[in-house]
Amino acid sequence: MNNRTLAIIAVVLVGILLISSSAFVVKETEKAVLLRFGELVRSYYEPGLYFKIPFAEKLRKFDARIQTVDSSPVRMLNSENKFMMVDSYAKYRISDVGKFYTATRGDERNAVRLLSEQINDRLRNQFGVRDLHEVVSGERDELMSEITKNLNQVAQKNLGVEVIDVRVKRIDLPPEVSESVFQRMRAGRELEARDHRAKGEEASERIRANADRQKVVIESEAYRQAEELRGAGDAEAAAIYAAAYNKNPEFYRFTRSLQAYKESFKSKSDMLLVEPDSEFFRYLKDPKGQ
Amino acid sequence: MAWNEPGGNNKDPWGGGNRKNDGPPDLDELIRKIQQKLGGLFRGGSPGTGTGNFPWMLILVLGALIYAGLGIYQVNANEAAVVLRLGKYHTTESAGLHWNPPLIDSVTKVNMTEVRTERTTGQMLTEDANIVEVVLTVQWQVGDAESYVLRVRDPVKSLQEATDSALRHVVGSLTLNGVISQNRTQVSTDTQQRLQEYLDLYQTGILIDVVNLTDAKAPREVQDAFDDVTKAREDEVRLQNEAQAYANQVIPVARGQAQRILEEAEGYKARVVESARGEAVRFEKLLTEYERAPEVTRERLYLDAVQEVMSGTSKVMVDVEGGNNIMYLPLDKLAQESATPAAQRQDTSPIVVEEVYQRVVERLRNDAANSRRSQTVR
Repeated sequence: MNNRTLAIIAVVLVGILLISSSAFVVKETEKAVLLRFGELVRSYYEPGLYFKIPFAEKLRKFDARIQTVDSSPVRMLNSENKFMMVDSYAKYRISDVGKFYTATRGDERNAVRLLSEQINDRLRNQFGVRDLHEVVSGERDELMSEITKNLNQVAQKNLGVEVIDVRVKRIDLPPEVSESVFQRMRAGRELEARDHRAKGEEASERIRANADRQKVVIESEAYRQAEELRGAGDAEAAAIYAAAYNKNPEFYRFTRSLQAYKESFKSKSDMLLVEPDSEFFRYLKDPKGQ
Repeated sequence: MAWNEPGGNNKDPWGGGNRKNDGPPDLDELIRKIQQKLGGLFRGGSPGTGTGNFPWMLILVLGALIYAGLGIYQVNANEAAVVLRLGKYHTTESAGLHWNPPLIDSVTKVNMTEVRTERTTGQMLTEDANIVEVVLTVQWQVGDAESYVLRVRDPVKSLQEATDSALRHVVGSLTLNGVISQNRTQVSTDTQQRLQEYLDLYQTGILIDVVNLTDAKAPREVQDAFDDVTKAREDEVRLQNEAQAYANQVIPVARGQAQRILEEAEGYKARVVESARGEAVRFEKLLTEYERAPEVTRERLYLDAVQEVMSGTSKVMVDVEGGNNIMYLPLDKLAQESATPAAQRQDTSPIVVEEVYQRVVERLRNDAANSRRSQTVR
């Protein structure tokens, strides 16, 4: 009874040990290689449950998902011999895990390093023959797909890795060049600002001058019309006077002269030195007027 | 070869028989075994059975219950659960209560409806080799749970990288002014399109909802110059408006002035003509009377006029026949007297009073002299 129980427990324990060291699951997100005494014996697994010989066979798993090679920004020369800071990343996935294992000795960091060296090299080559404008705007897509295609071929063959995409994250100018760009931008803005202000002044001057001209035109036209009116008035008056006075010019002269005398000697400060011999004083000296 | 493939029982390298319930066996077999053990338990519970079997049964039943209980899980309405069976993609469960055998199936829940935000910012080059500062936010959610969980190592980081790349690509193909003002919407739509393309290529299962260009402005270093341009634009408009205001004031005033000149001229004309008419009629009327009695009328007019002249002026009558005396006429004094009588009255200080006294004396003397002279004239 006791013996039997112990035996059962022993069998169970051995069973557990055997199964746990021999069974393994390859997940959807993994790729695995099986090594027997260090020798690669199997490298292709569908996801699922598998068994291996315990102790003799070893399993190495790798990430089967798409991963990133994120390089740090690198200084590169372009065709104009100007430096720029290029920051790129690449997306890759292990396609042939056996080749990947042998090429990298199973170290993912090795793969990343190898890939990023190759990416850098290709970017440098591509950027070296293009100017800033071309890489920033013109041929970015073509450049990237060319590098991706080229790198994919090499990586598939040598590393068992499929390169899905290589992209430039950012292309920046080094700080000293940025400063000169800022200066240029500032100069451009100053130009624009000055242009606006000058245009404003131009328009202002034009409007004011136009207003002043209109003012002068309006006023002088009014002056002309006014003078015409006055002239017409004067002419009419002259005609009227002439018509009336022509009826007796001598009498006109007489009355007009009298009126002129009255008008001329109006003020107390006008002083007359009078001779009593004048016609007016005829009766002053002599009541008979002789 | 997978153990759980159809007909897997036959291919089981261990056979089924000698194995205890301690590994992840096939589900059907497991259940069958549990049923067997349950049967055993009930048998074991009957009196007379050996005590050695009883704890085994109990442990097995408990283990089975715990195992079954661990497999129950809930998927919320906003979630999806990606189920892997022995490592292989099995199914994606939607909301509800589910059971999957633990250890055999692994379940990863993903929030499908939560809209998450990713933000990127920085200075970047534009097509015209200027630098622009851009803040962009991306709102996204998981569109494909299977891809999101299984295909990419770090989907969110991939999103960040792809956003950086797509945004800079789009900005790099626009001019500075385009990014800042004219093509703002183009920046977000192009970036969204490009970004989704990249994300699909990387099989992230991420769906971009919206891309917002939160801010696009000139870099800090040149912001003042850009602000000045804005100010200059305002100045331009202001100068024009001021000039227009000036014009709006000057021209109506000039028109008014012109009207005044014209009215004055009209007035002048009317006055001149009317007074001419009046004077003409007056003359003609007088002339009629004159012609009736020329001598008398003439005499009367003459006398009237001279009287008026004489009465209105200061006069000095000089008798030339008696003029061999030396005659003194204080003409200046006479003129002054008649011109400034008002000025003297204003000030009454003692000095002025003294002066007035002197003047009065002088005048009396003059008057006396005058009367004497008139007498001599007579």
